[in-house]
Amino acid sequence: MQNKRPNPAFYALLIALIFMAVGPITLMMANSFKLDVDIIGGTSGLLFMPTIRNYETALCDVLWYEPAHLDYCSIKFGGAFINSLIIALVSTALTLVIGCMAAYALVRFRFMGRDTVSLTTLMVRMVPAAVLLVPVFGLWNNEFCLDKEGLIGGAIRDTFGGRGDVCLAGTHSGIILIYVAMNLPFVIWILQSFIVQVPRSLEEAARVDGASPFQVFFKVVLPLIKPGLAAAAIFTFRIAWNEYLLASALSDRNTKTVPILIVNNTSEFNVEWGVIMATGMLLAIPPIIFTLFASRQIITGMTAGAVKG
Amino acid sequence: MNSANRFTPYVFLAPAAIIMAIALLYPLGYMIFGSFRDWNPSQTIGESEFVGLANYITLFHDPAFRESLAVTLTFAASVVFAELFIGVGLALLLDREIRGMSVLRTLFILPMMIAPVVVGLMWRFMYHPTVGTFNKWLETFGFEGVDWLGAHALFSVIVADIWQWTPFIFILSLAALQSLPRSALEAARIDGATGWQQIWHIKLPLMMPVLIVTGLLRLIDAFKVLEVILVMTEGGPGLSTEILALRISRTATEFRELGVAAAMSNYLLILLFILTVSMFAITKIQEMRSARMSRQIQQDA
Amino acid sequence: MHSVLKTTLVGAVFSTALGAGAFANPYEAYDGTTLIVNFPAHPHYEAVVQVLPQFTEETGIEVEVDMLPYLKMRERQTLELTQDEGEYDLISYVVFSKADYIFADQLENLAKYFMNPKLSDPTYDAKDLIDGYVQNIGVAGGTKGYLPGPTGSLFGLPQGSETSVLMYRKDIFEKHGIDVPQNYDQLLEVACQIPEVEPGMGGMASRAASGHQASHAFLLHLAPLGGRVFDDNWNPVINSEEGVAAANALKTIVDCGPKGAMSFGPSEAANSFSNGESAMFMDSIAFAPGFEDPTRSKVAGNVGYALHPEGVRRGSQTGGFGIAIPKNAEHKEAAFLLAQWLTSKRGDKLIAMAGGNPSRFSTYADAEVQAKYPFAETFGEALKYADPDWRPIIPTWGKINADIGTTMSKVLTEGLDPKEALDGVAERSRAIMEEAGYYTWQ
Repeated sequence: MQNKRPNPAFYALLIALIFMAVGPITLMMANSFKLDVDIIGGTSGLLFMPTIRNYETALCDVLWYEPAHLDYCSIKFGGAFINSLIIALVSTALTLVIGCMAAYALVRFRFMGRDTVSLTTLMVRMVPAAVLLVPVFGLWNNEFCLDKEGLIGGAIRDTFGGRGDVCLAGTHSGIILIYVAMNLPFVIWILQSFIVQVPRSLEEAARVDGASPFQVFFKVVLPLIKPGLAAAAIFTFRIAWNEYLLASALSDRNTKTVPILIVNNTSEFNVEWGVIMATGMLLAIPPIIFTLFASRQIITGMTAGAVKG
Repeated sequence: MNSANRFTPYVFLAPAAIIMAIALLYPLGYMIFGSFRDWNPSQTIGESEFVGLANYITLFHDPAFRESLAVTLTFAASVVFAELFIGVGLALLLDREIRGMSVLRTLFILPMMIAPVVVGLMWRFMYHPTVGTFNKWLETFGFEGVDWLGAHALFSVIVADIWQWTPFIFILSLAALQSLPRSALEAARIDGATGWQQIWHIKLPLMMPVLIVTGLLRLIDAFKVLEVILVMTEGGPGLSTEILALRISRTATEFRELGVAAAMSNYLLILLFILTVSMFAITKIQEMRSARMSRQIQQDA
Repeated sequence: MHSVLKTTLVGAVFSTALGAGAFANPYEAYDGTTLIVNFPAHPHYEAVVQVLPQFTEETGIEVEVDMLPYLKMRERQTLELTQDEGEYDLISYVVFSKADYIFADQLENLAKYFMNPKLSDPTYDAKDLIDGYVQNIGVAGGTKGYLPGPTGSLFGLPQGSETSVLMYRKDIFEKHGIDVPQNYDQLLEVACQIPEVEPGMGGMASRAASGHQASHAFLLHLAPLGGRVFDDNWNPVINSEEGVAAANALKTIVDCGPKGAMSFGPSEAANSFSNGESAMFMDSIAFAPGFEDPTRSKVAGNVGYALHPEGVRRGSQTGGFGIAIPKNAEHKEAAFLLAQWLTSKRGDKLIAMAGGNPSRFSTYADAEVQAKYPFAETFGEALKYADPDWRPIIPTWGKINADIGTTMSKVLTEGLDPKEALDGVAERSRAIMEEAGYYTWQ
């Protein structure tokens, strides 16, 4: 069977699969360049006058000119995009550094409580965001607060303004904290399988040369597990970039991320398909770029994540 | 020499441990505590009233919760079976040297990388009763349009999830397939096994360990799905697509009953806990079995 | 001569100064304040944000708008209002949030602002405000607690008042010689007649999606058909004959409606009408300006407007939003000035011209507004029949509303028997009411 030349049906299947995988995305892209009248009116297919109007509407708060068709800039996509970017990048970086250190400790050292830590990590990996919704909402809004009369709280209020006690909810840090915590178990898990493969002899050699455990970790181990780090980074970024539920519970008007913006604009009176598709495309572009450039790392990461069980 | 002392592992572990303790374990404890209280969003947890197991009992008798649980289980089971079936099938079909396979794989993982919110959006559009792609096609070929997100909402939601996650199973089973010992397949071919026989008696059994783990991973993830459904149907019509995750979020925000939502979260957590433990058990059993086998082989030799 | 001139000059200067004093800018003290307001994403408020720059220009008070979908808005407010110090200076609230907020003592009583001579505009003319709305949206503490009455007081002002009207396709009705339905029998008959005479077109587009939308659609028919959710003693009577009739009416409308009607939210229903896929649409007047806009609607110019048909009584919905000042706001007085400006005769007309729903009789009667929006006159008439008690506005309503919504959706999609369904709702509602203490005095 393997020696036979693939028959036409095989190629037909391939093409059908590609069409199915990419079709919806292409459709969304095409629609994001159409006017609502064309989307709804059903000039189907690819024969239409492309327009960037939807993108102008979506990006009206960051454009240097005022789009002629808009009276008022209601979708603040630019601000949300920057929030998404800050939150996703910072939380990815933190998760990687912290997760990597923890994974290293779990792989390379025997110590008391190692099994407990390892097991807990694996267990919390299953916790869905929805389960965290209630406690995180309560804690971030009411418990994890600094008194505005207090030293630090007062300083923050003086510098950044705002009202009430300084709470984690409504800040970038609040969302970043929960994303880091949510992604850590996965990152630790996946990186363990890469650290195991680092030859111990290299570390021994460095240590003989007088390097401290931290130097060994940063100078020897980290460079060797770059592929693993890349995979972990992409997965962490993807979750932080795409997450909606917790962000919507924790963000306020200044810290809204793009998924919130999109959901807020779908459920309302006037579904403007074109504009929503445009915002959707803008949200999808970073992950698409990652996928195109780093698909090998993604697949390595997926395999490592699953095979280890 | 700067050698590692016995505190070193704890120093490496500390940041992760602290963050997970503050932002995962403490919240989980807080939630369990809250699930025994009559608690609404305008109160702090201290102001709420202790009600014992009342929230759990209410839920147990609540037909809406039961229906939502049934929807969740149906959804999770259907997507995992369908994705395993299609994913493994495709892997078996496409397991050969093709030029541009890496390009193909890249295209296939695109759906997984895109935000669930956006996936929901695309499918909501395609399912739209009048302007949607599917009904337009159907009408072009002279068929009646289908009320995708109305009467067949659960099915439609399942299809969207299959679209997004089948590639995951496909790629993992393809990797498993390509790492199978070639000698076993060679031997079978020499013995004259047909393609089907090879698949049934050699490939599938050998892939089984990976498939079980992958399937369980998908199953756990299927319980986490929320955004896609939220954007597509918001749980409707009726409760027909209201999975537990969505019900929790609605109970907390729309019905303003944090205590009940916490109790519901706990039910979900217990369910997932059982699944995770069984996943562990299965992997452990497999490890033990393969260890025993290799020991036997060594003894035989 | 010289001195005369001088005196005149001095006099002139003096009187100018006096004039400036008399017309001292009441907004001066608040110049440079930034108000943070929370508005829903809704056609009316899209009109409001268009006139806000004018407010800023006239008063020097900046306004920053946080716009959210309206169910989301409520979640946000629930959180903000419970803080010691809230972010919002002025909030817009859905009518059924009124009970929650006032019960939790989270809104400012407006009396002290209207009493304050420095803030209150003498030309405001409160009598010109549509009374039903002021009562329904702003006043609480009277009859049944949530309705206006002798013991009530004012907490909010109407902003984006709505009622339901019947919008229909003049051209289609004319083509087939169909009369505009005056009562429910005619309405249902026409709704099912349309798909027969006009293949591919639905009779009436209606909200029906599970949850709030289906509940809304059901209640829309319940009031005119003579039903209520509760009787005067808070006993659930939703499963009465009238209730079943309303459920059947909704089912008939959805069954004879356009394709996919079961999952329609307001936007889908309105789109269906503006795309020419349905011949009628009975919902809030807020949608009308969109239908008359040729860039967004295919039926502009062909839409007729009529009163919500009569059942056993006239009773169109009262919905929409009010604006109120949270107790924990930072700039309460400036927020009052904004609220007053928006609901003043001028503000109201500006908003109306931008496509919003007026809250004043005078605006509906205004020639310019009537010229721009042909439906203004009908709406002014319809508002007289608006029924403030078409749905209960009590703290337990959120839960009961959700129950009605999912149950109704089952009636529509799964063929659940309406009577049986409503019996279930009544039973569960009774338990909810019991728990909330509504039967304490019985």
